[in-house]
Amino acid sequence: MAIIERPSSTPAIAGAGTAAPAVVTPSEAYGVFKRPVSSTGWRSWLFTVDHKKLGIMYGVAAMVFFLIGGLEALLIRAQLAGPEGTVLSADQYNQMFTMHATTMVFLFVMPMAAAFANYFVPLQIGARDVAFPRINAFGFWCFLFGGIFLNTSWFLGGGADGGWFMYQPNANALFSPSHGIDFWGLGLQITGIASLTGAINLIVTVLNMRAPGMKMMKMPIFTWMVLVVQFLLLFAIPVITVALFLLMFQREFGATFFDVSAGADPLLWQHLFWIFGHPEVYILVLPSFGIISEILPVFSRKPLFGYRFVVFSGAAIGFLGWGVWAHHMFASGLGPVSVAVFSVATMLIAIPTGVKIFNWTLTMWGGKLQYTVAMLFAIGLVVQFTIGGLSGVTHAVAPSDTQQTDTYYIVAHFHYTIFGGAVLGLFAGFYYWWPKMFGKMLSERLGKWNFWVMVVGMNMTFGPMHIIGLQGQPRRMMNWTEARAGEGFFNIGFWNLVASIGSFILAVGVFLFIVNVWITSRKSEKAPLDPWDARSLEWMTASPPKEHNFDSIPTVHALDEFFHRKYEENHDTGEVTRVSSAEEILAEMEANADKHIHLPSPSYWPILLALGLPIMAYGVIYNLLLTAIGGVIVLLSMFGWALEPSVADDSDYDPPADSGGATKELATLG
Amino acid sequence: MNGRRSVRRVLPIAGAALALALAGCAKDAPQDTWQPAGPNAQKIQDLQWPVFLVAGIVGVVVFALIGFILVKFRDKGQPIPKQSHGNQALEITLTIIPALILVGVGIPTVSTIFELAKTDDTQCVVNVTGQQWWWEYDYPVQDGCGGISAPIVTSGQLVIPTGTKVLVRGTSRDVIHSYWIPALNGKKDMVPGRVHTLRLEADQPGIYAGQCTEFCGLSHANMKMEAVALSPADFETWKAGQLADYAAPAADSDAAAGEALFKANCAYCHQVNGLTNTGPDGTVTPVLANPDQFVVSGAAPNLSHLMTRNTFAGATWDLLTPECRDTVWNASPEEFGALYLQGITAECLNEVDLREWLRNAPAKKPMYADAAAKEELGGKVRGMPALGLTEQQIDLIIAYLLERK
Amino acid sequence: MADLAVHAPDTGDHGHGDHGGHDDHGAHHTSTGLSNNKMAMWMFLGSECLLFGGLISTYMLYRGRASENLGPDQIYDIPFTSVSSFVLLMSSLTMVLAVSAAAQDDDRTTNLWLTVTALLGATFVGGQVYEFTSFYQEGLGFTTSLFSSSFYTLTGFHGVHVTVGVIMLLATVGMVRRNRIPGQKSEVVELVGLYWHFVDVVWIIIFTLVYLIPS
Repeated sequence: MAIIERPSSTPAIAGAGTAAPAVVTPSEAYGVFKRPVSSTGWRSWLFTVDHKKLGIMYGVAAMVFFLIGGLEALLIRAQLAGPEGTVLSADQYNQMFTMHATTMVFLFVMPMAAAFANYFVPLQIGARDVAFPRINAFGFWCFLFGGIFLNTSWFLGGGADGGWFMYQPNANALFSPSHGIDFWGLGLQITGIASLTGAINLIVTVLNMRAPGMKMMKMPIFTWMVLVVQFLLLFAIPVITVALFLLMFQREFGATFFDVSAGADPLLWQHLFWIFGHPEVYILVLPSFGIISEILPVFSRKPLFGYRFVVFSGAAIGFLGWGVWAHHMFASGLGPVSVAVFSVATMLIAIPTGVKIFNWTLTMWGGKLQYTVAMLFAIGLVVQFTIGGLSGVTHAVAPSDTQQTDTYYIVAHFHYTIFGGAVLGLFAGFYYWWPKMFGKMLSERLGKWNFWVMVVGMNMTFGPMHIIGLQGQPRRMMNWTEARAGEGFFNIGFWNLVASIGSFILAVGVFLFIVNVWITSRKSEKAPLDPWDARSLEWMTASPPKEHNFDSIPTVHALDEFFHRKYEENHDTGEVTRVSSAEEILAEMEANADKHIHLPSPSYWPILLALGLPIMAYGVIYNLLLTAIGGVIVLLSMFGWALEPSVADDSDYDPPADSGGATKELATLG
Repeated sequence: MNGRRSVRRVLPIAGAALALALAGCAKDAPQDTWQPAGPNAQKIQDLQWPVFLVAGIVGVVVFALIGFILVKFRDKGQPIPKQSHGNQALEITLTIIPALILVGVGIPTVSTIFELAKTDDTQCVVNVTGQQWWWEYDYPVQDGCGGISAPIVTSGQLVIPTGTKVLVRGTSRDVIHSYWIPALNGKKDMVPGRVHTLRLEADQPGIYAGQCTEFCGLSHANMKMEAVALSPADFETWKAGQLADYAAPAADSDAAAGEALFKANCAYCHQVNGLTNTGPDGTVTPVLANPDQFVVSGAAPNLSHLMTRNTFAGATWDLLTPECRDTVWNASPEEFGALYLQGITAECLNEVDLREWLRNAPAKKPMYADAAAKEELGGKVRGMPALGLTEQQIDLIIAYLLERK
Repeated sequence: MADLAVHAPDTGDHGHGDHGGHDDHGAHHTSTGLSNNKMAMWMFLGSECLLFGGLISTYMLYRGRASENLGPDQIYDIPFTSVSSFVLLMSSLTMVLAVSAAAQDDDRTTNLWLTVTALLGATFVGGQVYEFTSFYQEGLGFTTSLFSSSFYTLTGFHGVHVTVGVIMLLATVGMVRRNRIPGQKSEVVELVGLYWHFVDVVWIIIFTLVYLIPS
């Protein structure tokens, strides 16, 4: 990896991103260690602060956790395929559904969205990196180590077994004596640090580092949705942090926050959890809304319909998302006034969601629709999420919800929103952005198989759950019995079997994606520079982008800047004519390249600091001495970090900096 | 080509929506949420079917529109379309339409919420207490329920008179549970330290199945319940039976031997009203269960009239053989009362499950009730431990239990 | 959201020449005109509001659930805590003086006021340690009651924040003296100041809600 790059004289279209890096030798030690300078090999990944490398690492790690979470799901469905399932014991089953949800929410969807946000937000706003590159690296390592820490509980007495919502007092040590919930609480604290630092970082990046001319209302819609999500994280994470601290003090240090015999109120946990938990569902789904809001216009060959409305509805969803948490608690005994208020508030949130669906539909209206795999996934999201949204309206009606909550009907609902919404959007993003990230095209043919098998699989898995739920099967049950299955077309037994078969078809669909990635990685054929005839800034650079992203920072004049550079529209006739190719635009940017680009330098401290945290957490569970050791690592890393300039001195590099040239820096304290 | 495929995709989805709407017609699913059997559940039903219908119609319209677009505007080589950025008037219209639909849904929702929360017209009160993993019912002394002169304590099956507005006052002894009889009303969480109320009323005699719906630990799946509705006359008979004196077993019978075994192995947790010890000097002292010394929740089911109910172990297993169970469950409302009040006869006793339970309860129902757990929980267990009974002892205890009517 | 972007005129050379020498790290061009570091600190403090919001709510819920004779009314020593609160408030004043000295590039005066601020902060923390010790001796342990758990959790979290602030102040003093601050010195002092004022404001809220309002 090149620490410092000058614009290459070779054209970007020839894959200049792989140009030989400058020779780098460190001259000065900061703190204890010499500054890392590797530009290749594993060191260049461990100590990197490059938002693109971190984005890829986020993606790979999240994908691994996705497979783990998927395996847990398959075990659950295998258990429930027939009556009185014996694949898992009750204890194992409870761990399985708890860890399945925890993994999918915290270790797959959130970090996968973070992968895209990390990689593409700086590119979409014309920046060279995020505002705080080292904090970015720290966030990634927190997520990874937190996720690994959480999963080591499988080998240390069993995973958490209280459900992902971890209702008290069932999560007290008295009712869950294994260490699973301790791992869960501490692990989520660590991944929470990742989310919080990531949120601050991306907010500052988006607000402060836009290319000249890119006003807020000219930002790509994905960046907008990421921005809304970061604000949700910024305010939601501290609430779950409080809840997790109370949980830890209760389980480890004898406090009685949720101990009813000491006079505690178990509903405190529910309020804290859902004040976090409801914004959390928008945290999961809004990035995917952003992704398909990029993809639908590209493959409809026309701009997003009602950009302003999509932006405002996203912000409205984010805002209203704070006022509906108690709809998870309609059966908790809140009293009719609260229930009525939250019921109406929940209906309100359907309005901006509906606006989004309409805008996507109208974006396609009158377009020139190209059914690429990315487009198929995007359309899949619109259709599948609509089903989830409509079933959502049926339980915004609180009395109806008291029949549906904690049954499989709810399981169906949120899988249509989270799988049908968030996950399909992420897959759309994979196919759309893969050539940008890796310079190679995923196979469209295999991709279409991937899409159809996944969609059939998900509808077979989650569709029948509507029926199972309305027939009265509760969630989180390790088995079901013939006696309560009923007979005829709607019997629970038949549809449970269908759902289980569907889940394995879904797994095949996901497997096809892995196959596609594997096949693509072995192909040598390079992707075209602008394979989709795209519209936004991230395509106005090499594929994969050079380390400094842009040779020269573009000045933005319009929403869909890239499109407007390629095409001219006759305002009278509406006729669109091509005036320039991507290659020409890139060549021009290269000709005007910035001469001297300072990029943030790699650092040991982010990974070291993050490594201290799980050590502290193991200590909380096993021996406080270990916590002290972890604490020392954290403290020393912080000092090392504070003393280290984010950009290494020019004297660290060979050849030395061109003192005559103008500089373009992005270094900050981060 | 892809466009056509997508149209074909819309059809099954529309079909599924229709199927969803029809789900209420299924028979014999005892926890079907679309088959109300009393006025409270009926109110929910009246509210929710139009919502499902509207949601279904909106879904079909949206999918039809998307399907149409996918076919009509597919890439047929047409030029790049006009770069239109939107249409403010259309946007506002499309914001107002869902808002109006939701106003239409919201108003009846709010009024139903308040109707279902009414408690001032209660005609019968039952205290319901959840614990891992069974429900206890306690009928306090009251003028309601046709008058109750002494407390009745039972478990597993909630017995209520038909046509009577019953108010469940619920709480929990350990973790949060949720009380749910879908045919009679929605669910309500039963939270330790709080008392929550839930209205139940059944129109017809019969059995209505339910299940705990708030995740409550290891055996959450095995925490079931049934509501049994009896005509007011039959309910009087049932009450009298519950308050009947202890029926001591005949001397030297199997049941008498079973009584001794019961005292030695069961009575320290399970109360049987009227059970006594006679000391060497002839003094008679009552046998009092003391479950709070042995069980985390501090409670165990009262077995005084076990064989008047149809289930055991958290209503997870039936005391009736499958054939007898079918007869009771499928009885007409007119015949049901008499059949239910027969209780468990020797021919109808489901000995298979009951024996397995007595042989090794935690093996049959996952509970935190083994020796290791006892150590971790400070000498108490959650659920019924294995008692180490011999087959003969089990025979005798069953003979004794069969007389608990 | 309003468009906050403030853009340099497009000079046609894509932003060249905005910067002078290499050492001018603090004067980055940003879209809003607010420096990245300062914006990040504001965002962090916004998040902290919710953290303390959660802790204060927990305390307010449980303040009445004390064991006999060890409730808020029996145990608080209002005069003592008022004095230590006053000390903390005064430290905000000295922090302002440090920030203004840093703005004038006066290292000596900056360090003087930073040190005084740190000392006042340390005095407050010392007072809290004394208070906790005396409560403990009166029998109010962390696990004694819901009141005690939530009281110690809330004020303990605040105390940790003050302690972190004191460490930040002392580290800044050391780095100013040895000229080891990367970037602009006055901005670093200002950032520490922002954090310090926030911690003070939180204490005013805690002091009012916890100590002054009778349960």
